[in-house]
Amino acid sequence: MSSVLATYNIKGGVGKTSAAVNLAYLAAREGAPTLLWDLDPQGASTYLFRVRPKIRGGGRKLLRLRSSPDRLIKGTDHPGLDLLPADFSYRHMDLALDSFKHPTRRLARVLAPLRGEYEYIFLDCPPSISLVSESVFEAADALLVPIIPATLSSRTFEQLNEIAEGGAGGLQILAFFSMIEVRKSLHREVMAQLRKAHAVTMLGAAIPSADEVERMGVMRDVVASFAPGSRAALAYQALWWDVRRRLRQRTPPVTTLPSPT
Amino acid sequence: MSTTDYLPPDEMSLDAAGDVLGGYLDVNERGETQLDRTFYDTFDGLLYSAGLSVVHERGRLALVDRVAGVERASAPMSPPTAPLLAMSLERCALRDELLPIVDVRALLPLVHVHSHIRAIDVLDGERKIVVRLTLEQPTVVASSATHVPLRPRVRLAAVRGYDEELDAVRDALQGELGWKAADQPLVDEAVRAAGGIPGGIPSKIDVPLSPDQRADAAAATVLGRLLEVIEANVEGTIADIDSEFLHDFRVSVRRSRSVQRELKGVFPVEELARMRIEFRWLQQITGDSRDLDVYVLEFEAMREIVPASMRTDLDPLLTVLRNRRLIARGEMVRALRSERAAAVRRDWAVLLDQLVQLPTDDRPAATTPIGELAGERIRKVYSRMVKMGSAIDGSSPPEDYHELRKKGKELRYLLELFGAPLYPGEVVKPMIKALKALQDVLGRHQDREVQVAMLRSLRDEVSALPGGPAALMAMGVLVDRLLVDEQAARDEFAARFAVFASKSERQTVRDTFA
Repeated sequence: MSSVLATYNIKGGVGKTSAAVNLAYLAAREGAPTLLWDLDPQGASTYLFRVRPKIRGGGRKLLRLRSSPDRLIKGTDHPGLDLLPADFSYRHMDLALDSFKHPTRRLARVLAPLRGEYEYIFLDCPPSISLVSESVFEAADALLVPIIPATLSSRTFEQLNEIAEGGAGGLQILAFFSMIEVRKSLHREVMAQLRKAHAVTMLGAAIPSADEVERMGVMRDVVASFAPGSRAALAYQALWWDVRRRLRQRTPPVTTLPSPT
Repeated sequence: MSTTDYLPPDEMSLDAAGDVLGGYLDVNERGETQLDRTFYDTFDGLLYSAGLSVVHERGRLALVDRVAGVERASAPMSPPTAPLLAMSLERCALRDELLPIVDVRALLPLVHVHSHIRAIDVLDGERKIVVRLTLEQPTVVASSATHVPLRPRVRLAAVRGYDEELDAVRDALQGELGWKAADQPLVDEAVRAAGGIPGGIPSKIDVPLSPDQRADAAAATVLGRLLEVIEANVEGTIADIDSEFLHDFRVSVRRSRSVQRELKGVFPVEELARMRIEFRWLQQITGDSRDLDVYVLEFEAMREIVPASMRTDLDPLLTVLRNRRLIARGEMVRALRSERAAAVRRDWAVLLDQLVQLPTDDRPAATTPIGELAGERIRKVYSRMVKMGSAIDGSSPPEDYHELRKKGKELRYLLELFGAPLYPGEVVKPMIKALKALQDVLGRHQDREVQVAMLRSLRDEVSALPGGPAALMAMGVLVDRLLVDEQAARDEFAARFAVFASKSERQTVRDTFA
């Protein structure tokens, strides 16, 4: 059974794409057939994998299930990792979704035929709250939410709770700290406070603010591939272990019979 | 599946080939490595026939497409050192894919290949990998001292979503560079270089015949091929590599005996009489061993027949059967290694070789056209079966069913060995199908009869073992269920026989094999 994992945050520039590409790479490297769907019309993931940000027929045709996603997928340079590229037409995805009877179920329908082929499907989402994100909440098994430690970060948790409550109930929310600077006392304090307050949602692993992450755009590759021994690469590895551990825990506990009183 | 392997022009070395590619395409060298591979197949080439191959490389055993090298399934393991049975693999995708193809046949090493590999990626304008190339200089390692170099080859691996780029690389290789699509997969070239035959030694007999051919020449050709199968399976039978060696050996002996009987007029009387005795002996010395192979192989299926609570109670029976099998194997191996067994095969080969040159005084059917002789035999054996079957009713003794089954085997061999190459497929194929359906019921009837007798004969031996009394109870239940199934086979007989011996079928046989 495949897992659909979406990197999501209402804000931009918080490390969604970096997390999506690195985690997808690590999943594939372990031998799990993995797909990354770059839903962001800016196409940063697509650029990093050196693929043309274009899909035949555009996003509307794909959503209408007129073009099989199977034919639009590109193999990346990394064995086991495929990409469903971004397309500039995704900027109108809200409008396209709105034309369907059940707009929020659409992405899940597009993904349905791919779930048998891939063990992990990552969705790299554009920063917004829109019909696209609602559709993502419906399609995903878990949201991976990068959070920069700041005084207003707790606001993000309130929004996440709303998402979890509004969803179908199956959506798991896993937040992790991103772009942290351990020398900043504010970062340390906020992290300690939020970990304490949101132990269930907050993952242990955290991604540092590092030059290697910024160099991804120049190298057009994932940190875990071009600088596997770097601090950032090790942090992504730890994050991936943490994510998988939490996904496994999601399996419902075995019901135990009440003991006689 | 389209070819993915290409061969550079004869004079081009692997290094030169790589350098030339670099001149034509935008490439990135991934480095050079050494690779050791062992290819496997069953003795009769079941994987070859299915367009597949099993290969051990880089610590994994993989089932791959023979031509394109695309992996179907794989599992991590050390190279198998003994014949490998798919059923002995742990449950995994590889086992699931292999088992329906090879069933009880063991995988045997075909050939070891050591390769020097140069990996090159073809890039597009974004410096993205669009095709992966593997340049390979393979060498067959026949023994520690014998290495046979094969032709260098390049393998193209597609990257998903870049089909046009793959076509462009193909065009460049075949057009501008003058490379040729490989005429055979690497595994076949390696097997041939090592002195083997790709596809192994199938037990299927497929000898082309012409209706006007002299009957003795046709018989000698068919029997010569059957003797090849007998010879090929002796060693594997003795070594107990898998149960099919003995099975194929026995089927070929039985088919040979059938031809000896049915076409007796093409052989010199005295020699044939001696050979028939010797072939019957070959059949006898292998009979117990084969029966016990089947009992042990099908034991788990037999266990399923009794209620779940009694299944483990049958363990002492399995112990007895295994012990008996070992004893029977010992006796069979001694007989097969004897001078008598070697002499039969040797003398038979000589007789077949000289058959057409021998005087025809005591061989009245020697020069009869095979089409005529085979047709007459098919018609007669069919008519005999119709007569025997029509006389069978619910009260007939088991021997009547058994005799009909034996005659059915005779007809089946005639149809397969001579009917198929000499007569229209649209008559022979449905006839074999109806015959098989009838034989299945007769076979089931006979098997149950023999199994019940076997179980009754083992009662004392089983009861002497720990757990013996419980085993006897379970065996009693087993006997009851087997007898019920034997009766069911009897009940099904009439319907199957009616199809086989229908009026229209009888007319077709008269018209075709007149």
